[in-house]
Amino acid sequence: MADDNPDSDSTPRTLLRRVLDTADPRTPRRPRSARAGARRALLETASSRRLSGQTRTIARGRSHGARSIGRSAHIQASGHLEEQTPRTLLKNILLTAPESSILMPESVVKPVPARQVVQPSRQESSCGSLELQLPELEPPTTLAPGLLAPGRRKQRLRLSMFQQGVDQGLSLSQEPQGNADASSLTRSLNLTFATPLQPQSVQRPGLARRPPARRAVDVGAFLRDLRDTSLAPPNIVLEDTQPFSQPMVGSPHVYHSLPCTPHTGAEDAEQAAGRKTQSSGPGLQKNSPGKPAQFLAGEAEEGDAFALGFLSTSSGVSGEDEVEPLHGGVEEAEKKMEEEASPESASSTPESLQARRHHQFIEPAPAPGAAVLSSEPAEPLLVRHPPRPRTTGPRPRQDPHKAGLSHYVKLFSFYAKMPMERKALEMVEKCLDKYFQHLCDDLEVFAAHAGRKTVKPEDLELLMRRQGLVTDQVSLHVLVERHLPLEYRQLLIPCAYSGNSVFPAQ
Amino acid sequence: MEEEAETEEQQRFSYQQRLKAAVHYTVGCLCEEVALDKEMQFSKQTIAAISELTFRQCENFAKDLEMFARHAKRTTINTEDVKLLARRSNSLLKYITDKSEEIAQINLERKAQKKKKSGDGSKNSKQPAEAGVVESEN
Repeated sequence: MADDNPDSDSTPRTLLRRVLDTADPRTPRRPRSARAGARRALLETASSRRLSGQTRTIARGRSHGARSIGRSAHIQASGHLEEQTPRTLLKNILLTAPESSILMPESVVKPVPARQVVQPSRQESSCGSLELQLPELEPPTTLAPGLLAPGRRKQRLRLSMFQQGVDQGLSLSQEPQGNADASSLTRSLNLTFATPLQPQSVQRPGLARRPPARRAVDVGAFLRDLRDTSLAPPNIVLEDTQPFSQPMVGSPHVYHSLPCTPHTGAEDAEQAAGRKTQSSGPGLQKNSPGKPAQFLAGEAEEGDAFALGFLSTSSGVSGEDEVEPLHGGVEEAEKKMEEEASPESASSTPESLQARRHHQFIEPAPAPGAAVLSSEPAEPLLVRHPPRPRTTGPRPRQDPHKAGLSHYVKLFSFYAKMPMERKALEMVEKCLDKYFQHLCDDLEVFAAHAGRKTVKPEDLELLMRRQGLVTDQVSLHVLVERHLPLEYRQLLIPCAYSGNSVFPAQ
Repeated sequence: MEEEAETEEQQRFSYQQRLKAAVHYTVGCLCEEVALDKEMQFSKQTIAAISELTFRQCENFAKDLEMFARHAKRTTINTEDVKLLARRSNSLLKYITDKSEEIAQINLERKAQKKKKSGDGSKNSKQPAEAGVVESEN
């Protein structure tokens, strides 16, 4: 049966239709759990090849199980809304389920055979990957009829009655039908609610600059990722509750579900490995609470991510990017960012979004900001997040330097608002390189001048004072407040936290 | 009150003008020397521009020196601050470092001689030239 329908042709809808048309109309009383389980299985198994086989076997299995269990389950199920046959269930599904399957868990095969064997056990037999969802689905469906407004029920009743009239083979009372409709609808609603296109909360942006990952755009992979991300709610639900989830690199979570991001993250980690303190920032940033947006934001930092779109606050450097409205948007932007063909066009689109974010780089010296971040936040970041395992060894010093500057070169070309020659961009990169080297030498000298071996924010302040950014009227804190996003500002300006603690100290 | 502030400002301004005039004169003298050396004439505007530049740069230097001293948690400007200031130009830095070493050496010698002479009681007799150097340093 699995071979009956090729993947491309069979959708749940068509398969269910086939089942409805071919299966014998049965109206034995069935335990609600079996029905719910069947419904669940049907809803969950999207365009899998085994769907037809599953439905058939489920129907058969249910018929077998129902007879044996019917009596015992009947008493148990008497309290629930009854009088639902597989046919009505399937019809309701066809009516209410959205055209595009919301859930397409990979481990669909598992639950189905399990369910066939163990009829009465509901949740246990259900697919393991959807453990989280199934319990959620169960109670709402039972409660649904009670919760639903009567108006809705009536509407569904009408629909179901019409459907019944059309099918002409079922003698079902209206109430159960309505309840079934309602419950199925709510289930579908619950399903939609359960879909994990949740806005990604504020993520910790990569503090330091990381070289943008260079990967060719694979449209097929992109679309697949888009689909996968939208179809993997449970992991997201799990991940979100954990404040400090594992770093994305190496983790097979679908949530961060941009498969490209782990790769790019790895690349970035490699590139950042050999760099100065600046690299430690972003690398550590990656360990920040597992929120793709954050991660992307970190990447964006490095590679012109359009994190800005997600950044709520104005502050620039910090991943600054708050909620990420859509995974797809993120991926798209990331793909754009990673395109190598035309750096200018790539930079223009994401950078247009970053304009506000990164203006802080342009106006004041970007390096001081980066240096501040590298010096101060490097240590707190180390404390907060476990260092991410570097996939490759340290690289030669030169490469990360130049690789990291391409980000600023892109910014430069964006703000130039006109096409630039490649040689001009190379010169800009050289100048930036010299500038940053000079800057860091100054910082080193300042620290030594004060008899220290560590570069501290005081050195940065001195540097900015010499640059004329910090004056007697404008202090460093004012600049921080003006230009940096909240995440970075928290690291620089003492802020009180719960537990009677102030960070950074004093 | 306002009048006092104004007069004070005027005084400062006139003082500043006098300083600028002094700088201008010194720059003119130096340029004449260079002109004789290179057999090339300096226009008046050039000398004026150089003197204005020098004056403004001196202001910057003073601010930087004060910042450096404060950065090192000191209230007096040190030779270290000056060296930090001159780090940009290699030749200038080298020159200043040599001079500072020379001065330090002289100071050490003076101290040694003072200790020696404490018994004799005559401090200034031996090194009038070095006193001149000390004065210039100060």
